[in-house]
This record gives sequence, C-alpha cells and structure tokens, in this order.
Amino acid sequence: MPTIGRRKGALEQEVLAALAAAGRPLTAAEVLADLGDGLAYTTVMTTLSRLHAKGALTRRHSGRAYAYALHGGDAASVGASVTAHRMHRLLEAGSDRAGVLARFVEELPPEDEQLLADLLAAATRAGEQA
Amino acid sequence: MTLGLGVWGGTGMDAAMWLPLAVSALFWLLAAPVGRRLPPATAVRALTAAMVATALATGFVLAAAALLVLGQAPPVAALGEWSATALATGDPVPLALGGLAAVTVAGLGAAVLRRVVHTVRDLLRSARACRALGPAVAGLVVVEDDAPEAFALPGLTGRVVVSTAMLRALPADERRVLLAHEAAHLRHRHHLYMIVAELAASANPLLRPAARVVGRSVERWADEVAAVEVGDRPLAARALVRAGLARAAAQRTAPALALSGVDGDLVDRTRALLTAPAPRRPLLAGLVAALVVLTGAAVLVTAHGTEDRFEAAQTVYAAQP
Repeated sequence: MPTIGRRKGALEQEVLAALAAAGRPLTAAEVLADLGDGLAYTTVMTTLSRLHAKGALTRRHSGRAYAYALHGGDAASVGASVTAHRMHRLLEAGSDRAGVLARFVEELPPEDEQLLADLLAAATRAGEQA
Repeated sequence: MTLGLGVWGGTGMDAAMWLPLAVSALFWLLAAPVGRRLPPATAVRALTAAMVATALATGFVLAAAALLVLGQAPPVAALGEWSATALATGDPVPLALGGLAAVTVAGLGAAVLRRVVHTVRDLLRSARACRALGPAVAGLVVVEDDAPEAFALPGLTGRVVVSTAMLRALPADERRVLLAHEAAHLRHRHHLYMIVAELAASANPLLRPAARVVGRSVERWADEVAAVEVGDRPLAARALVRAGLARAAAQRTAPALALSGVDGDLVDRTRALLTAPAPRRPLLAGLVAALVVLTGAAVLVTAHGTEDRFEAAQTVYAAQP
C-alpha cells in the first residue's frame, strides 16, 4: 500500500505527543530515537525549534544540546487539572451521539477484551510478515 | 400498494405516496449490510444523501395526505376557496389515514425541531470547549490525565484532544495512527455527516439504523485514512487494539468513567484493518442512488396529483353560484 506521507502539521503533533508521552524533557536526539521512522535529525531539530518559537515548548541546556518539554507540562500543575476536569465534563455531556465528539475508541464490553488481545497478536504477526 | 389511498384517475399517485415509506423500510432492513459492503467513505456519503432524500420525501407525502383530509374541513375549504365535497369525492384519502398522517407529520416535525436545538447547543458547547482548552499548536491539545482519552472536537478550526495516559499507552508509530485518525475526522468534517444523519433519523425513525451505520462508517473512514497515511494496515489495527485495551484497563480502576454504549465496534474495526480494503462496488452505490431518484420521482408524482386534486376542487368551488 502506498504511503501518502505526513499531512501538514502531523510532525508537529507527533513531536508534541512524544514529549507528552515521555513526561520529561527530551533532546532532539531522544525525540528522533522515539519517533524513528526514517526521519532526519535536522527535520526533528527544525520542528522542535519551530514549536519552541510558537511558545508550545520550553527548553533548557542539557549538556551541549537543548532538552525540550511541553510548556506547562509539568505534572499536577493547577492549569492541567482544570483542563482535565473540563475534558471529563465535555465527554460526559457529549456522549449523546450528536457527532460533536468522535472518540478514537469507545468503551468495550469485557468479553471483547480477550478477543482484542488475540487480534493484537494477529496484527503483530501480520506486521512482521509485511 | 392498495392499502387504502385508492387510485386517482390512474395518476399513480397512490403508489407514489407509499413509495417513500417503502424505501424507508428498505433502508431499515438493508442499511447495515450495505454499510458493511461499501468502502466507508462511500457508505457515509451515499447513505447520508439517501437518508436526507428519503426523510424529506416521507415528510412530504405525509403532509400531502394530511392536507387532502384537512382540506375537507369546511372552514379550511372556505379559506382556500375550494369545494370540500369535490375534494372528498372519487377515491379520497380515508379520514383516519389522513388524520394519522397529520398527527405523525406534526410529531416528527417536533422531533426534528428538538434535534436541531440539541445539535446547535452541542456545537456551541464544542466551540466553547475549543476556546476553553486554550491555544493549540498544530491543533493538538494534550491533557494531563490518567484516563486514556482521545477525541476530535469540531469547531471553526477544530481540536484533537489527547490525554497523557493515552499517549503513554502507545508507541510512537501507533500514536501517529491515532493522530492521523482524529485529524481525518476534522479534515473530512465527519461531524456534519453525523449531524445530518441524526436529523434525518429524527424526521423518519425508520432511518435510525442507517444513522447508526453512518456513525460506525465514519470511524471506519478515519481508520482507513490513518492506515493509508502510515502505509501499514496491521500497524493501524494494533493502535486501535492497544488504545482499546488501555481504556478497558482504566475502566476497571475507575468504573465511573463516562459511558457511551457502542457495541463490539472496535473488534469489527480491527478486523476490517486486518483484511484488504473493501472494493469499490459501484453497482451497489448506484443502487442506493437509484433509490434516491425513485423517491424523488414519487415526490413529484405526489405533488402533481395533490395539486391536480386541489385545482379540480377549486374549479368546482368557482362554478358554484
């Protein structure tokens, strides 16, 4: 299957997601190691600088390189908990199929869990063959 | 097709009036299998368009039947300057059936209005939430939270909201699938299809299963877009499963989490990604389109027949001394 490549803004999103998942400041090399996928170091570096320029990231020196972190991403800050609360309220209000919220995955019945675990194994095998 | 409306001078109006209802019944029965067989993007577009046409047509023929009966009431006839007796002669709509049509069309009209109000309120809430979540670089809002969540929030620009727990649950390549999936919802304006499908189902409850199919197909559509973007279907399937299992694990520790009951959908979506993409099936899509055209023709025939009837009654009225 052909890859159409990244859509506009996708790499920025992926870099933000990588930093959020790590939960600690990362250097460009660390972000590159996480994302992998044939990216060039300079591409990651450029994306990090751009995100920093937009005010989405903070950075500090870590040895000879910069380590980047999400702006205000230090856990348990007041702003973060307010946002989380807001998110839950939104999810509770929007669960009426209006199409206003489209979740990646919905709740699943317990009996589906084993089925999904089996499918994950199948997907992993299929990925290895591909 | 002779359930009581009679045949008016061979206009075929009788059959035409029942046709939108027959097509609705067909959608009730066949929306799910049709949705499964078509590629998801085609299913969403074809079904939504067909639902709008069918809902409008059903509303129209019900209103016409109601009008032909209400028009026989002397005060209404006097106001419209047509002969009540002339309207009632021949093979008219039985009073009971016309009354039923009037009640139904009023009830469904109210349901549509209520749905519109709800939708507007939801959209406003969504737009407000977009603003409240603050500025989002690249349209992504990361929320510090232990519940694995990811969703698209439509608005003027739209936001993708992902919790840190969800991001931590997935490796980088699967995070890419998730982000591509949510971006696809926003880029292809999936919420609009869902809103329109819900409105059509409010106007015609026989279309309710079709609305559910649209909802499911929208998710499948975003899955397919994500799979193409990462160029790896098994990878897309793995992302779905891992996200689903992460949610299931979080539910066990926090069962109070918001519930929105969707049937074993995730299993179907995963299976679909583990097989080849659906073929295009232009014949099936053409069949749905043909039903829409047929429904449109039925509306025209009904409109023409009703107009003829009222015109004839007006001629009689004018000829009266």
